[in-house]
Amino acid sequence: MTFPWFILLAPLASAALITLFTQRSKLVSSCISVAAVLASFVGSIVVFVRPNIRVPELTWIDLRPAFYVPLGLVLDDLSKTMLLLVTGIGALIHIYSLGYMKDDAGKSRYFAALSFFMFSMIGIVLSNNFVMMFIFWELVGVSSYLLIGHWFERNAAAEAAKKAFLTNRIGDFGFMLGILMVWTATGSVGFQEMAQQLSRITSHPGYLTIATLLIFGGAVGKSAQFPLHVWLPDAMEGPTPISALIHAATMVAAGVYMLVRVGFLIQAAPQALSIIAWIGTITAVMAALVATQQSDIKRILAYSTLSQLGYMVMAVGLASGEAAMFHLFTHAFFKALLFLGAGSIIVMLHHEQDIWKMGGLAGRLGITFLTFMAGTLALIGFPPFSGFFSKDAILSLAYEKNPAIFWLALFTAFLTAFYMLRLVVVVFFGKPRSDRARAGREAPWVMITPLILLAIAACGSGFGFVARLFLHLPGGKETGWLVPGMAFAATLSGMILAILLYRRRESDPINLALFRKAFYFDAIYGFFIAATQGILARLSAFIDRWILDAGVICGTSSATWGFGSLLRLLQVGNLQAYSFLLGLGIVGLIYFTLFR
Amino acid sequence: MILPFIVFCPIAAALAILLGAPARRTALWAAGVTLAATAFALYGFETGRPGFQFVSSLPISSDWRINFTLGLDGLSLMMVLLTAVVTFAAIWFTGVIADREHAFYACLLFIAGGALGAFASIDLFFLYAFHELALIPTFFLIGIWGTGNRQAAAWKITIYLATGSFILLLGLIMLYRSVPEAARSFDFRNLQQSASMILPQAQGHIFLVLLIGFGILVSLFPFHTWAPEAYASAPAPAAMLHAGVLKKFGLYGLLRLALPLLPQGAQQWSTLLIVLLLGNILYVGLVTIAQKRLDWMLGYSSVMHMGYIFLGIASGTLLGTSGAAILIFAHGISIALLFGIAGEIRQRTGTLLLTDLGGFGKVMPRAALAFGLAAFASIGLPGFANFSGEVMVLFGTFRNGANLNHFTIFQVATVLALWGVVISAVYMLRAYRSVFMGALRESWASVIDLRPSLRLPIGLLVALSLWFGFFPQSFVRIVSPVFQSYFIQK
Amino acid sequence: MVTLGHYLTVSGLLFTIGFAGVLLRRNIIIIFMSLELMLNAANLSLVAFSRFRLDGAGIPNYNAQVFVFFIITVAAAEVAVGLAIIVALYRARQTTHVEDISNLKF
Repeated sequence: MTFPWFILLAPLASAALITLFTQRSKLVSSCISVAAVLASFVGSIVVFVRPNIRVPELTWIDLRPAFYVPLGLVLDDLSKTMLLLVTGIGALIHIYSLGYMKDDAGKSRYFAALSFFMFSMIGIVLSNNFVMMFIFWELVGVSSYLLIGHWFERNAAAEAAKKAFLTNRIGDFGFMLGILMVWTATGSVGFQEMAQQLSRITSHPGYLTIATLLIFGGAVGKSAQFPLHVWLPDAMEGPTPISALIHAATMVAAGVYMLVRVGFLIQAAPQALSIIAWIGTITAVMAALVATQQSDIKRILAYSTLSQLGYMVMAVGLASGEAAMFHLFTHAFFKALLFLGAGSIIVMLHHEQDIWKMGGLAGRLGITFLTFMAGTLALIGFPPFSGFFSKDAILSLAYEKNPAIFWLALFTAFLTAFYMLRLVVVVFFGKPRSDRARAGREAPWVMITPLILLAIAACGSGFGFVARLFLHLPGGKETGWLVPGMAFAATLSGMILAILLYRRRESDPINLALFRKAFYFDAIYGFFIAATQGILARLSAFIDRWILDAGVICGTSSATWGFGSLLRLLQVGNLQAYSFLLGLGIVGLIYFTLFR
Repeated sequence: MILPFIVFCPIAAALAILLGAPARRTALWAAGVTLAATAFALYGFETGRPGFQFVSSLPISSDWRINFTLGLDGLSLMMVLLTAVVTFAAIWFTGVIADREHAFYACLLFIAGGALGAFASIDLFFLYAFHELALIPTFFLIGIWGTGNRQAAAWKITIYLATGSFILLLGLIMLYRSVPEAARSFDFRNLQQSASMILPQAQGHIFLVLLIGFGILVSLFPFHTWAPEAYASAPAPAAMLHAGVLKKFGLYGLLRLALPLLPQGAQQWSTLLIVLLLGNILYVGLVTIAQKRLDWMLGYSSVMHMGYIFLGIASGTLLGTSGAAILIFAHGISIALLFGIAGEIRQRTGTLLLTDLGGFGKVMPRAALAFGLAAFASIGLPGFANFSGEVMVLFGTFRNGANLNHFTIFQVATVLALWGVVISAVYMLRAYRSVFMGALRESWASVIDLRPSLRLPIGLLVALSLWFGFFPQSFVRIVSPVFQSYFIQK
Repeated sequence: MVTLGHYLTVSGLLFTIGFAGVLLRRNIIIIFMSLELMLNAANLSLVAFSRFRLDGAGIPNYNAQVFVFFIITVAAAEVAVGLAIIVALYRARQTTHVEDISNLKF
């Protein structure tokens, strides 16, 4: 049956229609877009409840036996759940955007790009082979570029969009190389065939490790892991619903999804696994440290996303795709919730994003506050909210497999609680610190409803009986109450420390430039790029302009001119000189023909 | 009969314009009719049938064994289609020409006719002759109607390409003479039969000469310095035609002549070719990053992308070579669109210095959309034909001689070439950001957007690129039978 | 005995004198005369060869002597045309010094 294709194609049709025909009418554009995503969501539900759907494949390139890339959809448990997640949260965010982007001049363009993003993201979820996934991987990157740069007249947004795309491209470089290596070894790009031919690559462990790490490189870029994490905080220049959808719930999760999808490959390379786990851990800790010193509400949430993604990657590296997916699942809900809540605050305070200019909003934006609180408690892993269960799964895994990682993860949990409560205390409690804060009122229902729905999910999605409907939960490990207990202790201590330090403050008492400037990564990278690419580019341009072009080419033409000028001297215009030369020539000719 | 019609329609129209017919209207009609005829040929083409179709032959000289033979196989069909489409777009993109309008359109049409003839010829003599026909109008277009340092640029490109053509002629003569007297012919079909008689050392020499000759025509590193200045100084339609179509003639020649007839020669020189093409991708890529003007940047970027097509040619596999063919088509379309829009911007602002522009997304949304599509196409975004070609080239090259225990030069070349996609993203995105994003200056606030009629050629170009990006198999089906015989040993 | 060699020597001397005249004399008419001298030197050597190269039956090869007639005719025509050119040149430039006529100098 072909209807699963419509799940993928409806948003594409919407994007095409809006771009080509309805750009002038903002109302029609937004309706088309919302209709498309709702159609996809309904389709995802239908697909979810039906077992074993066979979907016809199209051919993208067929040059068998060398190369065969089909366009096919994979509908197993993993993709069905992810599909529901993506389309469900996507639908909520479309509705939220109706309110958030109400007065925006580029509303049609926004919804076209948003539909295009849905198309690309659904494509990643449903791809049944590496090349198809890579196609949608890049398309998701360009959607992100378009959406981060939605307000392109702002220099900051334009730069952020460019940075996001370029950083992703670097990751994609590694990703494509990894795909090439695996294809060369196994002879196929399809995930199923690859799994069957796995023995051809596992017999070369060094090759497999390199290939796996390169593929992981794609996830490092897309999921903003260290060292390619620098684009995510800047991506907050985009509208907040985008930050919620792309940079929290779905696109950045695509890296983790991909790693889980090819788990059979990754788990066959133990050295790669440990590197993956450590990169996840480093990202988690580093981002959490930076988040403690940020004062832009969206940046705090962005670094928090980085940190939680680190947890997911850590779980992948600890050889449990189930734990990673569980955390991805719960994280999608509560992070989207937090971002949308932040969006509601930002828009009701007339685009104020500095937490030190907010305060006392608990009373003024009541529902936002309650839902935000639910999201926070879920994020910091406070039982019985969802984050507690998913984070616990990862911590238990770490406790079993790698104590160093476990302690770092526990420390990160402490930090997470700390910076989130810092955020909550500064934003919602105390006295309003600016006029805008004083004037804040609750957001319209079109923005509140998604918040409430997500809050319900944030509360409930952690429980086993709920999660089991959607996921394979990580297997039983019996460490009893030790790990959850330590986690709860870390969380609680973080909360208490934050409340003690930050209540009734006008400005931040701690001032650590290292964290505030995110370990100076931007500066370091900027310097590094200028020192290598910048210098090489200028050097090459110089060589090309002055040596190859002016030197060799114009040099050749000047030499020809010069030689011509020299020869010109022979033209004396004198008849007798010419005759003399004629005679000489004839003598020479006779000599050479007769006597040589 | 359709092929002589396709080839001579633009030439006849050019003559008519020179004799006084209304310039723009005749040119548009001629381009449109040629495009329609090409579409008709595409429709009537049987994929999978070996050999040439629509063959028409006129004997010219039996002593020299020259006949005026035209015919299409999969590869030349797509090249003819590319030429027809880009010609149509280029003529539509031509704005108001202040003086000598008739000569301008005539030059454009001569280039088109020359290119069409070159691609459709099966006889080597006419292949070369038609290409020369296309070379001289370029000189006039750049020298008379160009901007900036136009005279120097016109001289440089003409003399440089003439030198390349001369070396090419040497190679063609060597090829002709490498076969015993009785079997000699300028007809490609006969050459295919007699190619096995060429000795391996001779193959090596001929291949090198052809490589350099065609390479100069395609701006292979280090013979590329004619391209940026010429494209920067040329009027937009000329740049579209040259970068989009004429440059591809050299690549077509390599695919048509050098690879099938001289396989051992190709193998001998593959290392050299790989080193040179990496120079195109990496070195010229870096040079492109350092450019401060949009037209120079586009010129250098077109040189850089030739590296990928050369990689496909050097790959020595069916997959890579088919990818090269797609990439030729795709690049022609995207660079034509890029130059077209850059020309429109230059017309409105008089400058293409990246620091002078900015924020044009607000005043020229249509241009921003079109340029954005073309820019992302050229950097190999999936969904566009360029990506399909690049994927095939990279996979084809990587596979060549692949050994899980160590890397050979092909794998190293693939890795380095892949870095080129990062480089191209750097310069293209930077250019897009500098031109279309950011704050708009006061002086540009009154700039008007592209005229609505341009939607047709832009739409046509984008639609083709998207079609072959989404469904590359339709292209592969037409083109790969041609290359199948090249690699029977593989 | 006057042998072929003597004739050839004379012919060569005549040719050299003529050639030297072409190269060294300034007046166009004298140059022209020297040119005629060169032609006649060629004629002399041709007749000498004809006279001294006898075939088996002792008959000279008359082809060379016929060739001399051709040369005389051509020389005459050349003189006619050449003098006409010189007269026209004199009318235009008022000089017969060949060094003064160097318009083709770069």
